[in-house]
Amino acid sequence: MNFKLFFKHRATELSLTIIFVVGFALLVATSGGVLLTRQSLQGFLTYLAVPIVIGMAQMVVLAIGQMNLAVGAMGGVSAAIMAVLMADHHLPIWLALLIGFLSATAVGAINGALVVITQLNGFIITLGTMTILLGFQYRLVRTFTVDSYPKSLPDFGNKNILGFPLILVIAFVTSVLLSLFFSRTVTGRQVLATGGNHIAARLSGISNGRSVFIAHTLSGSLVGIAAIITISSLPGINRSIGGDWMLASFAAPIIGGVLMAGGTVAVFGTVVAAGVVRLVDIARAQYSLDPSIVSLTVGIVVLSTVALSEWRRRSSQRALEGKKDAK
Amino acid sequence: MSTELRVEKVSKSFPGVNALNEVNLTLKGGSVHALLGENGAGKSTLIKIITGVYRADSGSLKTNGEEKFFESPVEATHAGIAVVHQERNLIPEFSIEENITLHNPPTRLGIVDQSERTRMAKEALQTLGFEIDLQERVKNLSVAQMQLVEIAKALVTHAKIILLDEPTASITNAETVKLFKVIKNLKDSGSAILFVSHKLEEVYEICDTVTVLRDGESILQSQPLENYKQSEVVDAMVGRHLTDRKVELREVNRNVMPVLELVDVQTALGHEKISFSLYPGEILGMYGLVGAGRSELARSVLGLHKITSGEVKLNGQVVHIKTLRDALHIHHIGYVTENRKEEGLFLTFPVRKNISITVLSRILQKLGIISFQKEDAISSKYVERLGIKVVDNNQLAGTLSGGNQQKVSVAKWLAAETNILIIDEPTVGVDVRTKASFHELIIELANTGLSIILISSDLPEMITIADRILVMRDYELVDNIHNIKDYPTISRAVMTAIHPV
Amino acid sequence: MSTVLIMRRIVSDQRVVLTTLTVGLFIYFGLKNSAFFSTDFVIYPLLRDGAVLTVIGLAQLCALSVGHLNLAVGRMAAVAALASGAAYQYWHLSLIPGLLIGLCVGGALGFVAGLIIVKSQVNAFIVTLAMDFALLGFVTFVYVTFTGATAAFITKPKGMEFWRNTSLHQYCIGGVCGPKVFPMMLVPAIVALILVGFLYAKTRLGRELLSTGSNLRAAKLSGIPVDYRVIMAHTFSGLLAALAGVMLAFTNGSFTASIGSQFMLPSFLGPVLGGTLLVGGSVQVLGTFIGTMLTLVIRQGLSVQGIGLETLNIALGLVLLTALSLGQIQKMFTTIRMRGQT
Repeated sequence: MNFKLFFKHRATELSLTIIFVVGFALLVATSGGVLLTRQSLQGFLTYLAVPIVIGMAQMVVLAIGQMNLAVGAMGGVSAAIMAVLMADHHLPIWLALLIGFLSATAVGAINGALVVITQLNGFIITLGTMTILLGFQYRLVRTFTVDSYPKSLPDFGNKNILGFPLILVIAFVTSVLLSLFFSRTVTGRQVLATGGNHIAARLSGISNGRSVFIAHTLSGSLVGIAAIITISSLPGINRSIGGDWMLASFAAPIIGGVLMAGGTVAVFGTVVAAGVVRLVDIARAQYSLDPSIVSLTVGIVVLSTVALSEWRRRSSQRALEGKKDAK
Repeated sequence: MSTELRVEKVSKSFPGVNALNEVNLTLKGGSVHALLGENGAGKSTLIKIITGVYRADSGSLKTNGEEKFFESPVEATHAGIAVVHQERNLIPEFSIEENITLHNPPTRLGIVDQSERTRMAKEALQTLGFEIDLQERVKNLSVAQMQLVEIAKALVTHAKIILLDEPTASITNAETVKLFKVIKNLKDSGSAILFVSHKLEEVYEICDTVTVLRDGESILQSQPLENYKQSEVVDAMVGRHLTDRKVELREVNRNVMPVLELVDVQTALGHEKISFSLYPGEILGMYGLVGAGRSELARSVLGLHKITSGEVKLNGQVVHIKTLRDALHIHHIGYVTENRKEEGLFLTFPVRKNISITVLSRILQKLGIISFQKEDAISSKYVERLGIKVVDNNQLAGTLSGGNQQKVSVAKWLAAETNILIIDEPTVGVDVRTKASFHELIIELANTGLSIILISSDLPEMITIADRILVMRDYELVDNIHNIKDYPTISRAVMTAIHPV
Repeated sequence: MSTVLIMRRIVSDQRVVLTTLTVGLFIYFGLKNSAFFSTDFVIYPLLRDGAVLTVIGLAQLCALSVGHLNLAVGRMAAVAALASGAAYQYWHLSLIPGLLIGLCVGGALGFVAGLIIVKSQVNAFIVTLAMDFALLGFVTFVYVTFTGATAAFITKPKGMEFWRNTSLHQYCIGGVCGPKVFPMMLVPAIVALILVGFLYAKTRLGRELLSTGSNLRAAKLSGIPVDYRVIMAHTFSGLLAALAGVMLAFTNGSFTASIGSQFMLPSFLGPVLGGTLLVGGSVQVLGTFIGTMLTLVIRQGLSVQGIGLETLNIALGLVLLTALSLGQIQKMFTTIRMRGQT
């Protein structure tokens, strides 16, 4: 492996990892080791799973240069469907989860189809589906909290594998699979090619419409997984589930190094970035600061990350143009 | 059976222009075929039709005896045709090896076979004698390196028919030598190669047969190149006709202060030692190949790119133009862009608002309110003067034909009543009649005292209307020709300046 | 012949279609349930909400005019309301100066957003999204820090009751009084409509904003300072968001962190239904008002029918998607027809 190249391509991920490690160490030190107790560690890791998966749900749409505003609403509806099916219709857990997962996937597919057919940007289409889904979510759970489903589900959510919460393991496995999808499979590469340069992709025989459809559908599936994680780790499902997902879903991939313009994914970066955001959350709790500090910090970090990467892109472009002149 | 590609009577028109008219061309295995022609003669269009990017209106295409137009670039690839397009067609975030194998990545069960991919890419680059880290991302490459990756992308398909659209435009001489070796090897192994280039010396070095396109027609059809002298090929490219137009020599008084003068100007884009003067009422032509730096020079003068040294003088005064707003409102210089859809028109605006955009400051009432009456008067005046075909002034610009759109983008600059007008490629994509009326208009404007810089890649047009012709090559001025409007003499002079033998 | 043409133009005008639809739906809901015609309980509040949402729609419209988006409209409104609320509570300012402080804060936020977009060249979506994120934190933080458990500024400046509760009925000229259904809140909305409409229809500045949105490069080559225009568009957007925020606080009777949290969707619905292009270069100011009223009539009508909030959302989302698809289909037909002509 060429190390210089490795550092060049992975600069964002490496620096994020360092930030994460240093931040974590600082928090451990200032808390007098409280963070390392089994209980706090468990809490830290459990609530890391959802940010990771919704970050990836947004990331796959960013890969084609679009966005999915409906991430939260899709997750909310999907979780609500699962909860209602189990509580009111007494469906077996696996079936309820499967139906919920499939409905999120189907909504993603509808988003993709609408984007391809209308040729409009994903932004406005998903704004529309988001509104509709919020309506469905309210209709499904009303103002109640649905929690009368079999006890075995929260048990499943609390399981540990080798000291790691099972749901975090699910998130990790999903990330690894997604990473393989984008780095190794032909379909994954084609989706990225569409995001990188759609004219070149078309001339190389890639169907851009298919790529767009796949990206949105995949986004739906990932939201479905996030919903499964949510329902198995929370005490109940109400209408506020998913309400705070949208901004978080953008934060992780953008801090993690995914370009808004499309053509890139950074699975590892997204995962670490979600971890860093989670650290901010922990720090807040530790110093008993107001919850609003978190969104303030994350908002500022997102903005500076994007500005920085744009600045870097432009300066490297200038360097390339310089080469042309020197011919 | 040996490889053969036969194009017969292929025609193609775009709205407002006939790009190809019954063009014939035959490519044979074991030979290199030159496709020549001026800018806009239809070379790239022909290549795009062969490779299934565009669909032909009529005619036929025979590949190895099978008669069929390709519906998509993929079909063409499958039929064994590889192409290096003029535009960059690479995915910036992908590695070199992945770009090279993008058409048909090696796979196992839907998974990309990376070691096979590396092997394929390495092999293709080795035949080009080009060494580079295959994992480097394309976005970090220089233009020349990207061009080589494009060529490798064509080689890796092992196609028997290879179309190269200006492959040497941005690579160094040493790289060109290597490329030519590869082309010779391919030829010896029985491939059919189509080679498009503006550099005639290269064409003579490597090609066996030649087709020349002019205004969308094949003037020379698949002839052996050795039968023609370089000058004869040039004549075929530029044509000797245009007797239908009355050509008049104009008197320009050059004993007065020039309205615009550049002295040893150097720009951030790479122009060097550019000096010329533009006199009142003069039409100063600027000729050169695509990429010679003409539009870029014009834009630098207008303040869009930085001038790093030298002087720009307006009526004898040294000026520093910082923004286009200053160029227009303080210095009275206008610029009619070549990309009218992208840069010249507001498609969501009616014709009226398109024309008045440069003169808003003149049609204001109190409080910055626009006087619709004056706006109407001005736009009507220029709609009439240019003969723009509209239902009324409120028709949306987006619904006009190509020629009329071009006229609208010129109209706003006429309305601005500038002292100097830089016109970039005024007649690309317009039909013959509109073209003639444009030429008359430009001459008429100059007769009223307007000084004009005309950037055009259309040599007959240049010789018909310019008073002097500056020839530009590689961001430098290489000649300044007094246009005596005698076609053979001037075209030869221009061609010699561009292609020094 | 020409009357036929004029008729056709009127019928094909989106605003006419929308108005007809709005009025038609209004009558339909009224016939189904006469409670819908209640001045005090339905029409007055409907128009009062319409006033606020029209202004927020105009805030979005300003960003759309240059081809941008402002996802932070809601939060800009919240910060502005916060500033006004603080001014009333701590500095005991009277109504107008307090309002002006809010407007200045909103304008400043919009200016900053525009400046960041122009300087960093990052797209407006992400800049305003991140800003929304940051401001959300800021607003909650300030309310909690300063007001503790109440989390609201509750000082009501003199005259606030008048604006939130009365109608034009108060004003009489020669014995003829204004209609009772006309909330005073509509006055600032109408002023905003007139000013924004005037800006885009009549002035040089408006024309330059639109040309920037229509074709940035062409605008630049025509000598328009596009960077300044983008910053201005966002400043106007922030200013109008601030107005909407303070208007909502007046309507609610208190200044809280939740102001503006429901603004994002309506801010798009009004302009988009009214015919404003998402890609910039064309705005429909009056259309924004009509579009907003249409969504409110649907919302109010359904809730009078006893249909819950959830169905409203579904209906509004469907309306948005249908409107967008129809626009796209219409565009496709136009292109086909144009091809036929050439």
